[in-house]
Amino acid sequence: MNAAVGDDLKSEAEAFLVAEARLLDAGRFEEWLALFAEDGFYWVPAAPGQTDPLNHLSIFYEDKSVLRMRIRRLAHPRVYSALPQPRTAHLVGSVTAARASEPGVDCECRSTVMMAEYRAGRADRRLWAGQQLHRLRRTPEGLRIVLKRVDLIDCDAAHGILSIPI
Amino acid sequence: MPDTLQPDSLRGLVLPDRVHRRLYTDPAIFELEMTRIFGRCWLFLAHESQIAAPGDFLRARMGREDVIMTRGRDGRIHGLVNRCTHRGAELCALDRGNAGGFACPYHAWTFGLDGALNSVPHRQSLPPGFDVKDPRLALARVPRIESYRGFVFGNLALEGESLAAFLGPMAEAIDNLVDRAPDGDIEQAGGIARQEYRGNWKFHHENANDTLHPGFVHESSVAAARADARDYASPAYDGHQTHTQMLSNAFALREWQGLALTGFAGGHSYMGGFYKAGVLAPDRDDPVWRDYRAKLAARHGEEKTARILAEDRFNNLLYPNVSLNAQYQQIRIVQPLAVDRTRVTAFCFRLKGAPEALFQRAVRFLTNLSSPASMILGDDIEIFERCQSGLANPVPEWLDQSRGLASDREGGGGRVVSAGVSELPHRAQYAAWLRYMTAAA
Repeated sequence: MNAAVGDDLKSEAEAFLVAEARLLDAGRFEEWLALFAEDGFYWVPAAPGQTDPLNHLSIFYEDKSVLRMRIRRLAHPRVYSALPQPRTAHLVGSVTAARASEPGVDCECRSTVMMAEYRAGRADRRLWAGQQLHRLRRTPEGLRIVLKRVDLIDCDAAHGILSIPI
Repeated sequence: MPDTLQPDSLRGLVLPDRVHRRLYTDPAIFELEMTRIFGRCWLFLAHESQIAAPGDFLRARMGREDVIMTRGRDGRIHGLVNRCTHRGAELCALDRGNAGGFACPYHAWTFGLDGALNSVPHRQSLPPGFDVKDPRLALARVPRIESYRGFVFGNLALEGESLAAFLGPMAEAIDNLVDRAPDGDIEQAGGIARQEYRGNWKFHHENANDTLHPGFVHESSVAAARADARDYASPAYDGHQTHTQMLSNAFALREWQGLALTGFAGGHSYMGGFYKAGVLAPDRDDPVWRDYRAKLAARHGEEKTARILAEDRFNNLLYPNVSLNAQYQQIRIVQPLAVDRTRVTAFCFRLKGAPEALFQRAVRFLTNLSSPASMILGDDIEIFERCQSGLANPVPEWLDQSRGLASDREGGGGRVVSAGVSELPHRAQYAAWLRYMTAAA
């Protein structure tokens, strides 16, 4: 691990989160997927403060292999729930970063995310908002996501279709 | 009542092979459905495990009514309309909880778990004849509540057929779910999934047992799974279950044709199962399943266990508000909100006495099929919304439901049966719809 500490670690993490959000907004999902470690997970709980992804429903709880199917599906010409594909604008802020002590995780990064979503031809514009946790691993290729968890403020509300990752 | 809602007019909207677009778009028809279908049929409200202890309560919806289901101190279950009898305020704002009773936040009228008005403040200012025991001051009650093996149903009509008569042979679906529990009991667990779509409630039921759409609607998830070659013997956090669920819609037409469809006069229907691979296959053989099967056999014996587990069905639609998938311990409640707006609430059950890993498969199933991010249901809901948008066009007036009409046949015990990709379930639903909608007030 590099000697990035304090402000250095925070600015490095912040740059990572911003780059990640830009990939999502650009619909560059394959590149987004590549940010995940091979053992990485993407988790959007369905209950506030949810601690268990196996004994309780989630909005998303996907390892890289399932996430890869999701991304591949989004590229299919007849993925009806994402035709036209939603346009999104992410805003990531209130970032904090700290070194992590557990094996395989080098940095734990918390932030607030908002994602505005619009599908052409649809009347509604939606706003998803919540707290993010990124557990990151330093690799020769750069930081990689071991866990991305998004706790939506309305995770237990009734929603319409959510075809893309947040 | 306008002429367009008179029985003769309604009869002109439903033919064996087609239905009129007004069934999905006319707000007046929707209002009449709330009275004549949701106001008269037995509606699934809760599982007893959700209100197991005295004081437990849970909100449910019966057509237009917002209902609080409660468990009284004496263990009895009550269905109470969530409206203070004083100035009309919503009494209970929580979805679920435990309470000694309900106090109105406006002027503190307090009601018991049975709906009785227990106290009002400032008695000296009320007229002498004001009596808290006056039944008109108690919360309005769901007139009939009945339970079948832990499944609590309510009926807003004072009189009518019993729950047992309403369920008929469909009670087998509930039996099969409960019989799958090694301890003989099940409980709701693992959270509640909620979805809302901009479409009529009937689209959900039509789709539940429609065996022709998966090859088209779910093509993208099938293709994504097909491109992902997997070794099911290798370890995976979900036992490759997500992959299995996506890939299962890849059934060839002749395979769908091989499934049995069964409909009933009450609008109920069910279809055969189509998950034939991996940890969800009926004949699966993995350590979790072997452990579970042994526990079930210890309760029921080998012969009955084999019979219970051989019941390979997918959705069991109990018209008009619930769809039950016994084999995978899933339930979906369909709540109409407006002619073009519907809420779907889904949850799963824990089979008591079964291995924890089996419950985790039910949870995974729920996430895969009922989350807003479902890679399967999402495309179904997109289609419901497109149907609603499409039907805003006044012409053509009719929707075709003739597929398989010539092959429907009597199956005994009130059943109509057909092989495969028939629209038999649609026809069963609309025959029941018409009967309910034209029955004398």
